[in-house]
Amino acid sequence: MWGWRSSRTFVIGTAGLIFAVGCILPVAYLFTTSLTGIDAAAAALFLDARQRTLLYNTTLLGVGAAVLSTAIGAPLGVTLARVPLKRKAAIRVVLAAPMLLPPYVVALAWMYLGTRGGVLAALVDRDVVASWTYSLPAAIVVLSLVFYPLSMLASEVALRRIDGRLEEAGLVVASPGRVLRRITLPLAAPSIAAAALIIFVLAVSEFSVPGLLRVRVYTTEVFTAFAALYDFSRAIVLAVPLLTLCAAVGAVAARLLGDRIVSARRLTGSHPPLFDRWRRGARLAVAMVILVAVGLPIVVLAREALNGRAGGASLAGSGEAIANSLILSTIGATVVAAVAVCLGYARARARGRVANLADILFVVLFAVPSTIVGVGLIGLWNRPGVFGTIYGTDTMFILAYLARFVPVAALILAAAVRYVPISHEEAAAAAGAGWLRTMRRIVLPQLRLGLAAAWIVVFVLSFGELGASVLIAPPGESTLPIRIYTIIANAPPAQVAALALLQALVIFTPLAVLGTVASLREAH
Amino acid sequence: MTSTALSARGISKRFGSHQALDGVSIEVLPGACVVVLGASGCGKTTLLRVIAGLETPDTGEIWLGGTRVTDAGRNLVAPHERRIGFVFQDLALWPHLSVRQNLEFVLEAQRVPPAARTARVEEALRIVRIETLVDRHPHELSGGEQQRVALARSLVGEPRILLLDEPLSSLDPELRSTLRQELARLQHALKLTTVYVTHDREDASALADSIVEMRAGRIVSITEPKRQELR
Repeated sequence: MWGWRSSRTFVIGTAGLIFAVGCILPVAYLFTTSLTGIDAAAAALFLDARQRTLLYNTTLLGVGAAVLSTAIGAPLGVTLARVPLKRKAAIRVVLAAPMLLPPYVVALAWMYLGTRGGVLAALVDRDVVASWTYSLPAAIVVLSLVFYPLSMLASEVALRRIDGRLEEAGLVVASPGRVLRRITLPLAAPSIAAAALIIFVLAVSEFSVPGLLRVRVYTTEVFTAFAALYDFSRAIVLAVPLLTLCAAVGAVAARLLGDRIVSARRLTGSHPPLFDRWRRGARLAVAMVILVAVGLPIVVLAREALNGRAGGASLAGSGEAIANSLILSTIGATVVAAVAVCLGYARARARGRVANLADILFVVLFAVPSTIVGVGLIGLWNRPGVFGTIYGTDTMFILAYLARFVPVAALILAAAVRYVPISHEEAAAAAGAGWLRTMRRIVLPQLRLGLAAAWIVVFVLSFGELGASVLIAPPGESTLPIRIYTIIANAPPAQVAALALLQALVIFTPLAVLGTVASLREAH
Repeated sequence: MTSTALSARGISKRFGSHQALDGVSIEVLPGACVVVLGASGCGKTTLLRVIAGLETPDTGEIWLGGTRVTDAGRNLVAPHERRIGFVFQDLALWPHLSVRQNLEFVLEAQRVPPAARTARVEEALRIVRIETLVDRHPHELSGGEQQRVALARSLVGEPRILLLDEPLSSLDPELRSTLRQELARLQHALKLTTVYVTHDREDASALADSIVEMRAGRIVSITEPKRQELR
C-alpha cells in the first residue's frame, strides 16, 4: 500500500534511528566495552565470593518478589475478571496505583513504619519488626507491594481473553472451583508466568529499594562502583551478569506472551461470574490490599511529615527540584510518546518473525536496570566533541527517559494501533491520501486514548525515575527523586517524608481523576 | 410433574431493556426430542441457558425429572448438579486438553473412579465413531471431528437431558447433512431426552418429535411433525 518512497519510510526511519541511538546504543556500548576493554583483574570479579553473594541476593530478591507479587496479584486478577463487584473500574485503578508509585516512596514508608521507635513500635509499644526492617525479606515485601499490580492486570487480561463458553462448558459438569483450577487457570498460565518473569526482572533491576534497605545486590554495587569508587571498569563488569540475566529472562517472558503483548482482541463478551459466592471474601481481600499497599504508605508518610512540622520548609528548599521534575517529565513524556507512536505503528503493522523480534527487543530493553542505563549513557556521551556538548546538560535526563521508557510506550501504542483496522488506512489510500495525511486524519484521531495513556504512564515513570538520573545528573542539577534520595541520610525524616508524600500526591491525583471517570463511565 | 423429563413454566428473562424470554412454557417427555426453532435473537439460546442454569430467569420455574431446579429469580440446583449434557454453538472444546482429557474432565467432576474412566471414554468415542482420535488436541481435528468430540463430551457423563445449541450451524452443507443423520440415529438409539435449538427448518424436521417455534421471546406455535407424517 505504502511504497518505500512514501513519507512513512522517512518518519519511521527517523524514529528508528532515535531508538537505536537512544535505547540500543547505551546498552550495546556497555556490553561491547565489557567484552573488549576491561582488563583481566576486573574480569576476575566474576568469580570471587562477593560476586556469588551478590548473585545469590539478587536472585533471591527477584524470585521472592515474583512469587509474592504473583501470590497477591493473580488472585486479585481472578477477582476482577470473575467476581461480580460494584465499582470495579475504580477498584482496578486504586489497586493498580502502587505500580506507578516510585518504589523508594514505599520503601521510605516501610522504614518509618518498621524501624526502631517507628510508627508500628509506637502503636503496639514494642519494636515488632525492627530487626528485619533493613533486610532482604523486607526488600522482597516492599517490591511485591509495588509490583503486584502487574501480575493482577496480566491475570485479569488473560482471564478476560478466555472464551466464556469454555468455562460454561465446564460449569455444566463441574463445580466453579474445579473449572477455575482445570480450565481457566491453565489457559491463563502463560500470561501469569510471563508477568512473574517480568516482575523478576524489574525486581532485580531495582536500585532504590535495596539501596535504602541496605541489601547488597548488583544494582547497588554498580551504583557504588561508579558513584562512590569512581571505578568505571568495575561498574561495567558488575553490570554484565545483571544485564545478561535481565535480557535472558525478559526474552523468555516475551516469547511466553507471544502476540498477546500487542493483541487487539477486545476484552468484552460474556464471562460467567464463577465466584458469586465469594463476593464477600473478595471485597474483604480487595479492601485489605488497598489498605496495606495504598493507604498505609500514605498514612505513614503523612504522619511522619506532620510530626516534624518541617513540610513547608522542605518544600521551599526543594522547589527547584520539583519544578525540574515536572518540566523534564513533561518534555520526556512528550518526546518518548512521539518516538513511540511511530515505533508502535511499525510494530503493529509488522508480521511474523520481525514482529516477534521487535517484541523481544522492547521487553529486553525495558528490563535493562536503570543504573546500567545510567552507566551506559555516561560511557557513550561523556567524551570530547559533539557528544560532550550534550553531556553535562539537562538533555541527559531526556536521553535517560528515552532509553528507559520508549520500549514500554511503544508496546502500549502498538496495542492501540492494532485496534485501528488496516482497512481504514487502505480506504484512505484508495481515496488518494498519502501516509502522513492518513496518519493525521485517520489513524492518530483513533489513537487519542492510547496516546494519552502512554503519555501519562511515561510521565509518571519519568517523574519517579532515580537509578539512571542519579548517575547522569549534571552538577548542581536535581530532580525530586534525586533530591529525596540524597537528603535521606542528612535531613530530618519529616522533610524526606513530606517530599515523598508530595511525589505520591502528584502521581495519585491524575489516577484519582482516572478512577472517578472510569467509575462514572461504568455506572453510565 | 414426574411424567415429564423437563418442564419449564412461565419463564421470563430480561437483559436491560431487551425482553429475551416472555412467559415461555415447554414440557419434554422422557426420550423425546424437542426442537426450538426461531430466528437469531428470538430467545431460543437464552431458554437453553436458563434450563442449563447458566442464566437465572426473572420469573418462572424449571423442573428436571421430579426436582425443581429453578424458582423465580434463583437457581436452586447448580448447573453441574443438574446432570445435563450441553453442546455449544462454537463447541467450546478445551484447547489445552486432548480429546481423552476433554471427556475425562466430565468423569473426574462426577467422581467416577479412574479405573472406570477409560472404558467410559472409549464407549462415548465409539458411539460418535472417533475412537482413533483419542490423543489429539482440538486444533488437530477437522470441523466435523470437533463436532463429534463435543457430542461425545456431552454424552460421556450419561446426562438425563441433552441440550444442543445450533451445533451444526458452522458446518458446510454436506457435512451438516451427514451429522444431522448421525444425530438422529444417536437420539433414536440412546433414547435421550433432547432439546435442540436451531434456526434451520431442515434440522428441525429431521430430528424433532415436536417443534417449538419462537418469536421475540415468546412461543408462537408447537407442532409434532412425526405424528403428522404417521397420519
